Amino acid sequence: MLEHIELFFKSIFIDNMVFAVFLGMCSYLAVSKKVATAVGLGAAVIFVLAVTVPLNWLLDQYLLRDGALVWLGPEYADYNLSFLSFILFIATIATMVQLVEIVVEKFSPSLYNSLGIFLPLIAVNCAILGGSLFMQSRDIQSLGLAFNYGVSSGIGWFLAILAIAAIREKIRYSNVPAPLRGLGITFIITGLMGIGFQSFGGMLTGGDDAAPAPVEETTAEKTKEKKEINKEIDSKEVSYNDAIND
Amino acid sequence: MSDKRLTLKKRLHIIKHHFRGKKMAPAFNAFHTFLFTPDETTHNGSHVRAADDLKRTMNTVIMALVPVLVFSMFNAGYQHYSAINGFPQNFSLMDDFLTWDNFWIGIIKVLPLLVVSYGVGLLVEFIFAVIKGHEVEEGYLVTGMLVPLIVPIDTPLWMLAVAVVFGVVIGKEVFGGTGMNILNPALTIRAFLFFAYPTWMSGDKVWVYQAVERAGGPDAISGETILGYLAQNKGAEMSYSVSDMFFGFIPGSVGETPTFLILLGGLFLIFSKIASWRIMLSAVIGSLVMGLIFNGVVDQGWIGETSKFYGLMSFPFWQHLIVGGLAFGIVYMATDPVTGAQTNRGKWFYGFFIGFLSVMIRVFNPAYPEGVFLAILLMNVFAPTIDHYVVRGNIKRRMKRLKNATILPKDSEGKANELQAETV
Repeated sequence: MLEHIELFFKSIFIDNMVFAVFLGMCSYLAVSKKVATAVGLGAAVIFVLAVTVPLNWLLDQYLLRDGALVWLGPEYADYNLSFLSFILFIATIATMVQLVEIVVEKFSPSLYNSLGIFLPLIAVNCAILGGSLFMQSRDIQSLGLAFNYGVSSGIGWFLAILAIAAIREKIRYSNVPAPLRGLGITFIITGLMGIGFQSFGGMLTGGDDAAPAPVEETTAEKTKEKKEINKEIDSKEVSYNDAIND
Repeated sequence: MSDKRLTLKKRLHIIKHHFRGKKMAPAFNAFHTFLFTPDETTHNGSHVRAADDLKRTMNTVIMALVPVLVFSMFNAGYQHYSAINGFPQNFSLMDDFLTWDNFWIGIIKVLPLLVVSYGVGLLVEFIFAVIKGHEVEEGYLVTGMLVPLIVPIDTPLWMLAVAVVFGVVIGKEVFGGTGMNILNPALTIRAFLFFAYPTWMSGDKVWVYQAVERAGGPDAISGETILGYLAQNKGAEMSYSVSDMFFGFIPGSVGETPTFLILLGGLFLIFSKIASWRIMLSAVIGSLVMGLIFNGVVDQGWIGETSKFYGLMSFPFWQHLIVGGLAFGIVYMATDPVTGAQTNRGKWFYGFFIGFLSVMIRVFNPAYPEGVFLAILLMNVFAPTIDHYVVRGNIKRRMKRLKNATILPKDSEGKANELQAETV
């Protein structure tokens, strides 16, 4: 239970899709002019993440990762299909997005029209694929946690786009210098919002042991993250090489 | 005498009209309006006749800040000499605190911060006003006063200058100047300093003048803030009493310590109707609630003395208000009318979360010893969202009322009257 709560708050506030890892920026910047549209898109992203992350977790667990095929029989134990992650994850996501599109068009034509091209573009929204890939690389342990991770990172993205849409509605009457109008000021706002979201950076990282100095902790965290990424890249490369050599 | 002043004023008016439409006109006009009331009024549209304008609002806030500034100048010296000689045994206000020596440290350390903050900030404002061809706005008057009060005393002046340029340009001018910004400029400056130069903004050596130079000395008092002690579970080593915390004889950012004077300033702002009492009250409630929750966790025994959160969690909930920058943030920063929530109901939520999150970040986030400025910035980000939903809710309620009023049954006269009375 505790790990569920921790993961939930961590993925909404600390590892926020927009402000911590800067994913899903294209639709975040483009569809945030009005609150109503932003809410629609945010809800769609939550839904797609909530469905695709657990689905991809199942795929990862029983098809893709090293030794996942062992349930077919002992002779499949040393197969590693993780080089197929990208294409399989994308296939799941595209299917789900198609489904969402059909449902939204049927039940809310006005939302469908205002979302326009960005609804099908969720399929290539990096926040969605990012959700599945983070799920894989962070070694999420159970289906329930994967669902939790999908929903909460979706909520994090939703909050971000909701806040920026409200801000953009508010500054519509501001006297922004002409060269900065539109996307320019939106980028600046995003950066400033990132400062606000820094409030949570560094929370929930340590245990009950002696607290290290604050600065060291953040750098340590960063190096850890870097290492993780490097490890990920290494393992990817290894698996690609294996695939080529095979 | 009065005759002479009149002619000076008149002459300035004449020069002003002479320079009208010239490139440097806004710069001149700013000096002019700073000295005298402008001689022109608005020409068209509907007007509300009121005595307060932007300049008077800003001046009221500055008046509320002056006692804090003066106190902080004395406190700079008090902390400095206490760190060298040890704290005085029988503290007397006149002999130990309000001394010329203490004030001199304030003059050489606090005044330069103030001068740099105003000088750089107003320079940027002047440049923008001249380029964009509008009048210089008074918005920076308060920001320039707040900035030196929320930084550590040993902040190098060039860092402050860089941060002020960033805060004024990125935090305010790109949005179109005073009244258009989304984040409080003073806090943007503080956040820039904090993230760009973290070693100068936190730790135990920056809060007292020359603490870095004295470090390692035989009996140097380190000058750690109270929150710093608590975060390291060293609350027992602290030698400050509750009244020290309340009246502000403790190390900390330049002007954040004197809770008593901040309280007076807050009351002054409430009675002059400049600041919103809703935000202040709800922020106090929010911080008390969070503090009570943490105290409750400790009382239940869910967290042991070895936990790194123990020091801050067991800190009595109401004392959170008198240490660190919480009181200063609530009174002078959270109530910023531009960046805060603007609907009355929204203000309750906005203030509550500021108090709540401030205490939460303080206790839970090992990366930051103090979270007030970040909590306020975060709620600045969400203030438009809160306002949006409050307005939506109002619209929905009124639509419902309208609907009830229009399809009222013709035959039941009494009910119709009742509904009508309700809508009117």
